Amino acid sequence: MIRVTELRKRFGNSEILKGISFDVPPQTVLGVIGASGSGKSTLLRCLNGLETISGGTVDCDGVRLEANLSHSEYRKRVKDLRRKVGTVFQHFYLFPHLSVVGNIIEAPVHVLRTPKKTAETEASELLEAVGMTHAARRYPASLSGGEQQRVAIARALAMHPALLLLDEPTSALDPRRINSLRTLLRTFVDRGHTMIIISHSMGFLGGVADNILYMEGGVAVEFGPTEKVMNSPQDPRTKDFMLSADSTD
Amino acid sequence: MWLAFFCDPVAAQRVLRWGADPSGGAPYVYTDPANPDRYIGYEKEMVDALAHAMGREAEFVPSDWETLVSALQRKSFDVIVNGLEPTGDRAKQIQFSKPYYIFQLQLTVRRDDNRINSIDDCKNRTVGTLANTAASRLLEQQGIPMRSYADPVGAYRDLELKRIDAVVMDVPAEAFYARNNPKLKQAGPPFTRGLYVIGLRKGDDALKAEVDAAIDKIIFDGTLETILKKWGLWNDAQVEFQAPIRSGTASAKVEEYTTTNATFNWREALWRLTRAAAVTVLIALGSMVIAVVLGLPLAVGQWKGPAWLRAFCTVYVEFFRGTPVLVQLLFLYFGLPVIGIAMPGWLTALVGLGLNYAAYESQVYRASLEAIPNGQWEAAYSLGMGPMLAFRRIILPQAFRIALPPMTNDFVSLFKDTSVAFAISVWELATAYRELANASGQFLLLGVAVSAFYLAMSLPMAHLARLLERRMSQRATARVEEEAVA
Repeated sequence: MIRVTELRKRFGNSEILKGISFDVPPQTVLGVIGASGSGKSTLLRCLNGLETISGGTVDCDGVRLEANLSHSEYRKRVKDLRRKVGTVFQHFYLFPHLSVVGNIIEAPVHVLRTPKKTAETEASELLEAVGMTHAARRYPASLSGGEQQRVAIARALAMHPALLLLDEPTSALDPRRINSLRTLLRTFVDRGHTMIIISHSMGFLGGVADNILYMEGGVAVEFGPTEKVMNSPQDPRTKDFMLSADSTD
Repeated sequence: MWLAFFCDPVAAQRVLRWGADPSGGAPYVYTDPANPDRYIGYEKEMVDALAHAMGREAEFVPSDWETLVSALQRKSFDVIVNGLEPTGDRAKQIQFSKPYYIFQLQLTVRRDDNRINSIDDCKNRTVGTLANTAASRLLEQQGIPMRSYADPVGAYRDLELKRIDAVVMDVPAEAFYARNNPKLKQAGPPFTRGLYVIGLRKGDDALKAEVDAAIDKIIFDGTLETILKKWGLWNDAQVEFQAPIRSGTASAKVEEYTTTNATFNWREALWRLTRAAAVTVLIALGSMVIAVVLGLPLAVGQWKGPAWLRAFCTVYVEFFRGTPVLVQLLFLYFGLPVIGIAMPGWLTALVGLGLNYAAYESQVYRASLEAIPNGQWEAAYSLGMGPMLAFRRIILPQAFRIALPPMTNDFVSLFKDTSVAFAISVWELATAYRELANASGQFLLLGVAVSAFYLAMSLPMAHLARLLERRMSQRATARVEEEAVA
């Protein structure tokens, strides 16, 4: 579904991503884990085109980003890429002036030109799937953090993305809600979605990710099946992180 | 001089403080173009002669024609000498001396205009004149559409620029300002006769006796004739008027001359205030539309535009914020016609205030746009929206919510700022108040009425804005209400 090869990202003289490679097969979940400042958020922003890449390639469902494309060509491809990739931000960024339904149908109606009625029908299906039917006519400010997250997931899915990116989805949730989020995400994977989830909670990723990418200092230290990375990490740095993560989880 | 000061301090202190409007005041009293610290004019010379006859020293207090009567009552000076005509409404507030001059009115039109040959041809034309003069009363009485000016210069300039069709002015002013202008001509002979008198506070009877005696004296000994001849104002009317005094038989008879005896009419005043309020609303709403529409591109240009556009928008904003709106209006009204753009006064005020407020609105917009978190842009982009769509559908509606309260504030003050339009002779509410109150002396009652008009305009707008704000903030509090219901 998505293949990333030797991805590099520089800000001025400091290189944040130093040649990251991985691929995510369709209908699987990749968990990206690492300490703060390891470059995982920058990686996510490269994958949805909010940052331009400085080296390597990103291939997603037939769209290819390369570092040395012309500016206009790069922009064109980012535009195509964003049709394939949906993002759920850490702070959700729901549109406060639109109702829950308004948030969900905004992009389908104005970007995909879906008729409003059709978009609303789809929106209510999505709201049912995320368990938010009761809040359809409410405004974001009146929702709790967990509710806002579910709306943000529904909003991203309304664009039928092949790949869904989630940035720190557990940061706003209490343990009970983390469990139900895990179940919800697996449901969508079963329905055919592919996901990349950034988190520093190993406990959460363990129950939802098929593969784990451990990052440190802009480098992919370890990449493999969840089971293997968690139980028998090859790199000593991964081992250290797992130990400290266990004690804090 | 210093000897006199030391020897006779009482006499040195006896001054005659006289008030007049020197701006556009030729040939009565005006700034000497050759020596701008000095005032000259036939009335200046006449007052000097009067003061001399009274054993006083004349001291000129430059003032404003419109507010001469109230300034006299406030004791800013002791007498008004400014080609003042005795009218019924002024007689209620002040008293008059004997007359010292017989004036006539002259109608002036553009040289190429053959439609108007007398005041009777002006029924459906706009005629300019000075506010609160015999000429303005005459036009009012005859129901001729009138535009009033603060000085003759503006009136004749607007006539040249075809903003008005004719000007009626006292002959002395007409002789000085219009007669030698090749673009203008006299329409018909001078008409009606009226008196110039000196205005005094009621109760200052001793001073009145002194002034009356001095007038008789300078007429009797020919001093006034010399002065009037010097200024080219001596004519048959003066000969006729002065003859009985100079022969020593009688003082001048006032009854033979027309005194335009307009008395104040409340119903008329309120009707005029209502029309002025309509003009105010028109200017305020029109300039609001310009400000709201033009403010947005200015804000976006200054915020996200390329360097040259940012520079242009910044210069625009700083120019319009950094110079007084009054100066901008005068520039638009009198400056633009030089390059062939002559707009009527109300349109000038509308455009000028609109351009000015656009600068302020752009800053409100910019602050509001910048207040929207970057995450809103990123969320919109991530959903596949382009910059234009994201701006229009996501950023702008949120920024509008933030901008609404300061915008409301600006527009309430815009309503009040329409009053600067009086500088370019637009008959809006503040001008109306000034003129009606000066004509009637009813500053207090008319002030209350005018304030009520302003409030009647600004309060509904503030209320509307509050409703809008409340409707938008209800979305944020919707949950609280739902829970309260449950």
